[in-house]
Amino acid sequence: MGKIPKRLRLSFAVSSVLFLGVLAVSPVKDLLQEWKQYQREYVRFAETRPDTKRLLADFHPGINQIWIPEMNVIDRCTTCHQGITQASLLDASVPQPFRAHAAMPHQVEKQGCVVCHRGQGLATEVREAHETTLAWEQPLLPVRYIQASCGVCHRAALPETPQLNLGRELLVKLHCVGCHRLEGITRPAMLGPDLTNLGTKVSRAWIYKWLKEPRTVTDSNGNITVNGVENEEEPRMPQFRLNDQEVRALSAYLSSLRSGPPEPARFDSRVVAALEKKPDTVDQGEVRFRQMFCTTCHSVAVTRAGQTRLIGGQIGPELTKVGSKVNPEWLVAWLRNPQAYMPYSLMPRYGWSDEDLFKVTRYILSKLTDPNLLSDVPKLEMPHPEEIQLGQRLFLEKGCASCHVIKGVSVQADFGPNLSNLGSKTLSQLEFSKAKIPRTLIAYIQAKITDPVSVNPAARMPQYHLEPGHLEALTTALLSMTGGLATLAVTAPQSEFHPAGAFGEVYERYKCYVCHRFNGYGGTSAPDLSFEGSRAQRSWLVAFLKSPQTLRPTLTLRMPQFNMTDTEAATLADYLAMVTQSPTVSLASVASKDLTPEAARLGKQLYEVKYQCQSCHTIGSSGGYVGPNLSNLGNWMNAAWIEGWLRDPQALVPGTIEPRRTLPDQEVTALTAYLMTLRQGGSAKPAPAGAGGAR
Amino acid sequence: MKHQQILLLLVLALAALATSCQQKTIAAKPDPLSRAYDVETDWNDAQRQTPLNSQQAQGKRVFYTYCVWCHADSSPAGPSNRSNLSPTPPLANDGATFNPLSDEFLRNTITLGGSAMGKSAMMPPWGRTLSQDEVLAVIAFMRAIAQPPYQPPARPAPQYSVK
Repeated sequence: MGKIPKRLRLSFAVSSVLFLGVLAVSPVKDLLQEWKQYQREYVRFAETRPDTKRLLADFHPGINQIWIPEMNVIDRCTTCHQGITQASLLDASVPQPFRAHAAMPHQVEKQGCVVCHRGQGLATEVREAHETTLAWEQPLLPVRYIQASCGVCHRAALPETPQLNLGRELLVKLHCVGCHRLEGITRPAMLGPDLTNLGTKVSRAWIYKWLKEPRTVTDSNGNITVNGVENEEEPRMPQFRLNDQEVRALSAYLSSLRSGPPEPARFDSRVVAALEKKPDTVDQGEVRFRQMFCTTCHSVAVTRAGQTRLIGGQIGPELTKVGSKVNPEWLVAWLRNPQAYMPYSLMPRYGWSDEDLFKVTRYILSKLTDPNLLSDVPKLEMPHPEEIQLGQRLFLEKGCASCHVIKGVSVQADFGPNLSNLGSKTLSQLEFSKAKIPRTLIAYIQAKITDPVSVNPAARMPQYHLEPGHLEALTTALLSMTGGLATLAVTAPQSEFHPAGAFGEVYERYKCYVCHRFNGYGGTSAPDLSFEGSRAQRSWLVAFLKSPQTLRPTLTLRMPQFNMTDTEAATLADYLAMVTQSPTVSLASVASKDLTPEAARLGKQLYEVKYQCQSCHTIGSSGGYVGPNLSNLGNWMNAAWIEGWLRDPQALVPGTIEPRRTLPDQEVTALTAYLMTLRQGGSAKPAPAGAGGAR
Repeated sequence: MKHQQILLLLVLALAALATSCQQKTIAAKPDPLSRAYDVETDWNDAQRQTPLNSQQAQGKRVFYTYCVWCHADSSPAGPSNRSNLSPTPPLANDGATFNPLSDEFLRNTITLGGSAMGKSAMMPPWGRTLSQDEVLAVIAFMRAIAQPPYQPPARPAPQYSVK
């Protein structure tokens, strides 16, 4: 063996050290992996806790994984988040990633993490798991919008997700479904008003003003004003970006829409002669307008103590200046029969006497007005045929036919993009243009809603003005639309209640379902009437329908005065008393012989001293106003309902706020006996024997 | 030689500057409420928002359904029912009243009613209407909005520690 040259030896030594070094790179890299560092840190952390033994017994070294094949969940988050289910690590002082998850409706082992929080479940690096990276575009969902994840599966409203529910309500209220397809929201028969006969209702100048500023005007201070009255509510129609020529053309086209001459306002000539010259006709009209509770559905600006506010409901349009808007003859015809002008209108067909109608229309046309309403509208000449033609084209081009119906013009569905899977869109699918916003889905959605042109200069979407908090709610609802996990969807049961026959006719005429609920169908602004027959006595129902009074102080809306005929009231009462019965209340279960004066005396003591019901209920003139006024309860409710209610109120009306108590049978009878003695005025029905004792 | 080094350093510095500029994208505005499940507007200061976690948010929901009528200055129907009651119920955010009371005491008062705990019988028992989780959530909500702010009792220190 020859002598190895020194240089070669040196190179061997260097290369073998280098080789060893290279070999060591991999194990060192492995040792320094992020998740291993966190696990070592967790062990050190666990040793400082009082329950070290238990924490270390539950510690699993190595990659941890939650695998749920049927949900396509492979989550390795628990590799680092070791303490996620340890009750003792719930405290805010515990550093992340070791803190336990706060109480939640689902379990980590059964759902994984990504289903709710999004992010990349497979990743074992902090950045990969939480953020948007080259290979993964779905970052963690900020907790502020986490309710969106609930909505992916829970399509029905959950009480636990107020922001999501508000967002979904707004999507419906703002009529987004007019242009966009949205998961779980069906297109109603009517979104905006039917314009087939608009020329008989309003003038071209009014249409011009409306299109320029659909009720919403932003003044120099940035306040949103409605016809000059400040209002936080978004009007039903958003503002479209139209230039003057377009507004002129559209107003020309729309004012030319008349399917027939306006119906003349026919009044009995004797009524007109008697009322026309009377000085207090207008005042009487105002009284009638108030008495009929038009403001249950319509709002009117009221100035009190120097402050102008809108008072009233939002079911129908706001009426502060309607007298300067509509054609007087149209108004009379509309009030007589709204459905003749607009078949899908929710407005009830009131039973008017000529006197009342004359007074109320006089009031509307002389008091709910503004002489300057149309003063800023330029002089509009008779429309040219070309202008009308241009307006007709613009009506389709601008997407008006998505919400408004004109007979002979086909409805535009899907005018805007389908948003049913917006929540799972990746960044590369979004158009940001030159907008100066963060490149995230949430920022995109919010920019698109608040200023559509900022992300797409050619956007046709109109401008919305949202209240604080509404933008977040809308974002949450849109993020919940991922188009995925349909197999796990929990949907709301759909039901409709449109009875036929005599009851059905009256029910449709007065649109009972707009406010009341029947077997899960209808509005929620008034009491659910599914079991009204078990609750109320028939005689009371008739009297109430003829002349509704305030019963529940907690409801801010009042039932309108419909001017029903005796036959109509009897039809409604008969049907309600016969059909809307609760299976848990047997009207025969209460023996009237138990409701003795002695029992009533005991009941009065229980009511006033032991249970102090007066803190929420009023009798006569004293008591609280959380629950209904009980002054006339003996004429109002059935004894069996009261008994059932005292035993378990939530069984009769789910979600009622009356606290359920544990009352012995004797006390239930005593309280019922006392409550049945509460009567006002002449009782419509003879009092049950022996129940008139402690008055 | 020296000139070359200076030039090299300059080029390197420029390159570093350029890369740092490139990495600077528009970052999301730091939102203090981004980690809040829900928020509650401060009862005395409409500008201040109190962040709520999921449990406190459930408490908010229960509070605004059942408790708001007597324990707030206004109710969903307008005026508060407080003025009708004697003794006047404390406001839910009244830290001076509630902070000294333990969670356990509040839980019993809500569950069993005022009369069971030596308080006014006008406070009804909610134990058969609300679940215990809901009662705890309401307490968590009250603690979150309390003015002056609520300080939880200090945890007993760990009995032993390694370091």
